Amino acid sequence: MTRWLFGRVLISIGLAWVVATIVFMALHVVPGDPAELLLSSNGVAADPAAVAELRDKLGLARPILDQYLSFLGGLTRGDLGNSLVDDYPVMSEIALRLPRTLELIFAGSLIACIVGIPAGTYAALHRGGTFDRIASGAAALLLAIPVFVVGTLLVLVLAEMLRLMPAGGYVPLAQNPAQHLMLLALPAIAIGKGLTAIIFRMSRASVLDALSKDFVRTARAKGLAPARVLSRHVVRNALTPILTVLGLQMGTLLGGTVLVEYVFNWPGLSTPLLRAVEARDYPMVVGVVLTISGLFLFINLVMDILYAALDPRIRTG
Amino acid sequence: MRRLWVPGALVALILLLALLAPWLGLPDPVRQDVANRLVGAMPGSPLGRDEFGRDVLSRLIWGARTSLAVAFASALIAGIVGTAFGLIGAWFRGLGELLAVRSMDIILCFPPVLLALLVVTLLGPGAGTLILVLSVLYLPIFARVAYAEALSARNHDYVEAVRALGAPTGRILLRTLLPNIAAPILVQLSLAVAAAVVLESGLSFLGLGVVPPAPSWGLMIRGARATMEQAPLLLLWPCAALTLTILAMNLLCDALRDAVDPRGLALRPRRRAIDRILPGLLPEAKPGTEATLGMRGLTVEIDTPRGVIRPVEDVSFAVHPGETLAIVGESGSGKSVTATSLMGLLPPAARVVAGGAWLQEKELLRLSEPELRKLRGGAIAMVFQDPMSSLNPVHRVGDQVAEAIKAHNKGISAAEAKKRVVALFRRVGIADPENRVTTFPHEMSGGMRQRVMIAMAIANQPALLIADEPTTALDVTVQAQILELLAELKRETKTALIFITHSLSVVAEIADHVTVMYAGQVVERGKVDEVFAGPLHPYTRALLAATPEGDAAPSGIPGVVPLPTAFPLGCRFAPRCKHAAPACEAAPVPLEEVRRDRLTRCVRWRELSAKAEAAA
Repeated sequence: MTRWLFGRVLISIGLAWVVATIVFMALHVVPGDPAELLLSSNGVAADPAAVAELRDKLGLARPILDQYLSFLGGLTRGDLGNSLVDDYPVMSEIALRLPRTLELIFAGSLIACIVGIPAGTYAALHRGGTFDRIASGAAALLLAIPVFVVGTLLVLVLAEMLRLMPAGGYVPLAQNPAQHLMLLALPAIAIGKGLTAIIFRMSRASVLDALSKDFVRTARAKGLAPARVLSRHVVRNALTPILTVLGLQMGTLLGGTVLVEYVFNWPGLSTPLLRAVEARDYPMVVGVVLTISGLFLFINLVMDILYAALDPRIRTG
Repeated sequence: MRRLWVPGALVALILLLALLAPWLGLPDPVRQDVANRLVGAMPGSPLGRDEFGRDVLSRLIWGARTSLAVAFASALIAGIVGTAFGLIGAWFRGLGELLAVRSMDIILCFPPVLLALLVVTLLGPGAGTLILVLSVLYLPIFARVAYAEALSARNHDYVEAVRALGAPTGRILLRTLLPNIAAPILVQLSLAVAAAVVLESGLSFLGLGVVPPAPSWGLMIRGARATMEQAPLLLLWPCAALTLTILAMNLLCDALRDAVDPRGLALRPRRRAIDRILPGLLPEAKPGTEATLGMRGLTVEIDTPRGVIRPVEDVSFAVHPGETLAIVGESGSGKSVTATSLMGLLPPAARVVAGGAWLQEKELLRLSEPELRKLRGGAIAMVFQDPMSSLNPVHRVGDQVAEAIKAHNKGISAAEAKKRVVALFRRVGIADPENRVTTFPHEMSGGMRQRVMIAMAIANQPALLIADEPTTALDVTVQAQILELLAELKRETKTALIFITHSLSVVAEIADHVTVMYAGQVVERGKVDEVFAGPLHPYTRALLAATPEGDAAPSGIPGVVPLPTAFPLGCRFAPRCKHAAPACEAAPVPLEEVRRDRLTRCVRWRELSAKAEAAA
């Protein structure tokens, strides 16, 4: 178990290194001078003085290996460089905003699991019934509506037309917990909607699959009560594929936060990211992309560990 | 196939509108008319004008053109390049596989939107950047699908044949492999187009995709957000267009996938309410014997998409305490359905339509589920064929046995249950039972797992133990040990045992009575020594000839058991019987009582046994 865990952590670190290297190389493999590229817009050539200044700022004059090593060195120290716009350290900006993005992701996944798993299980147990048909249709619709459309429509209906909820914004939890949760609700629903649909579908499929297994027949042959057969032998075994899907969908979920935070003015990582993309502030973009990709790798690592905890065959296998 | 029509037509309509946009006589989608800002429906603009006075309908249709052009271009590029990579990886394996397929996985380390934003930072927004980003994003999926499909197609005979003819590699890849993996690639292509529409609109919504004033649904939603209080409809139109397009595309993808891979389609059992209320005509009279289990005229029906079938018809038998009844027959003879209906574990689509089974005073086939649950694992227990799949892989074996004890002994303490489990493990011959209770099924051998299953079955001293081919999935040496264990348990506890098998040599070893089943019917019944010495039914005779020794499956009988959808009208064995006469196929053959406890279902049994005696 510890050896397996050690190996799995090593793989994650290796992947993180690959991601960092790719992000570093992206700036250099694009044909032409990176500084010129970052300063040009719509084919208009940039001011040579500004280009020279940016080259200097990014350290582009140094040998590429030297740049690469100092980039990696900075990463290990948690130094992601400074913003090109205001010279503010990228790391401080991220440290401030990351918890808010994490909160959104956590709330969205929580909603998805709380709604998706029971609904999927119920639909599987009553396959072909009214609930199954309605819920399956709703899941197809939820999957089809892009996350920013859901967000925008929630704002339009609940905030603008019915005036039930605030349209967006942020209040720290310590300052006003009720208001904080109120503001969290809509973005969390928006971010969790697609995942809810996917978890619903996966729970339904894997519960159906588990129901047909021989060990469920054994459990019934033992004379166990239906509730116990369901919890210990059906849902418990159906959890592993659900978890796999949860891990696979994290990429979409993390990308979705960018859109949802924008729609609801949630001051997470997306605000500096979008500002930086527009201003072509490369260090800031790299910082946020690396942070979220690292988060993605980390979540997948946690999923794998949970997976092993749920399925003993993986630990020894 | 019907499922393809509606989404297919919808997608076709959207594509047609987008393609024909320049010829539909629409107003210029980018011409501004500030005087008519945010005006509702007006002549020439049925959906009104947007915040710059541009025609909304025109922008919607032209927006579809932009979105779909970007989506199709990027999906096609990703599809062509990715498929090529996958084919190369599958053909050359080794380094080619690493470079062409595995390296692509790096792209999957990035959340898609973020990779897109990174590239937009470098190259600036625009349709060209979007196509580049989206095609890179979908590349690994195509490479993987093409790789996996090509790898399995590569080993097929037709590919080997072309290869043996000396065709050049490129030609084999393009002409032979590609057409055979086209279906999954096409499904993937439609998935990629749908996903690309979502991502394109998302980036345009953020102002980082399509550059204004070009029309795009994402940009329209972005623009309408600012004026949503005055003109909410302006927001709804592009939202509806986008959602409808993606919904239609998703449904089309699902239908395509089902068409390509029909395995995913589940059969839906048909259930009629009347079957729940009136479960057939069950006999009232209880057979007056001291038998542990007396079964009379069991008939089971199953609803299938092709109609109602009867896998078990009019089956009767009895087992007494300490006695073993073997039910023998090939696969498809109805042995297991008979056993599972005794346990009340028939699948939902199956139901008992006639017959009765008495376990001491209780009629099993008419018991309510809670009543039946008290008996299952208690008075009747069952050991299944494959101990690997019959044990839950995620729970420790000791816990799984303890569950059976706790289910029938309310309020038993965990320590007491564990003590009993250890005793049971020792009883079924598991060495080191104290430690073995904490292992998982996958850590045990097949024989050990079956011992666990037996321990679970005897945990509550059942009056009747049903063993459904308990040794079929095991090694020959282990088979003998399990048989010995079952025989020993039966001797000591006076449990009645129903032993289901396809092997007559096992029957000779363990059983007192034997019931031979064929195509859902009992064809012969009697004491084991009598049946072995003088079989009355040609099927029994053929089975005996087919398994002279050992535990081999009957192989010497030509033909196969008919499917329940195509049972012959007369004797069901007649098509495979070498003694078949016209009389055999004329009418259903009744089960004839030759003497007490000796039955056969053959119209010619008298002349055939006379002939056999003469030969001997």
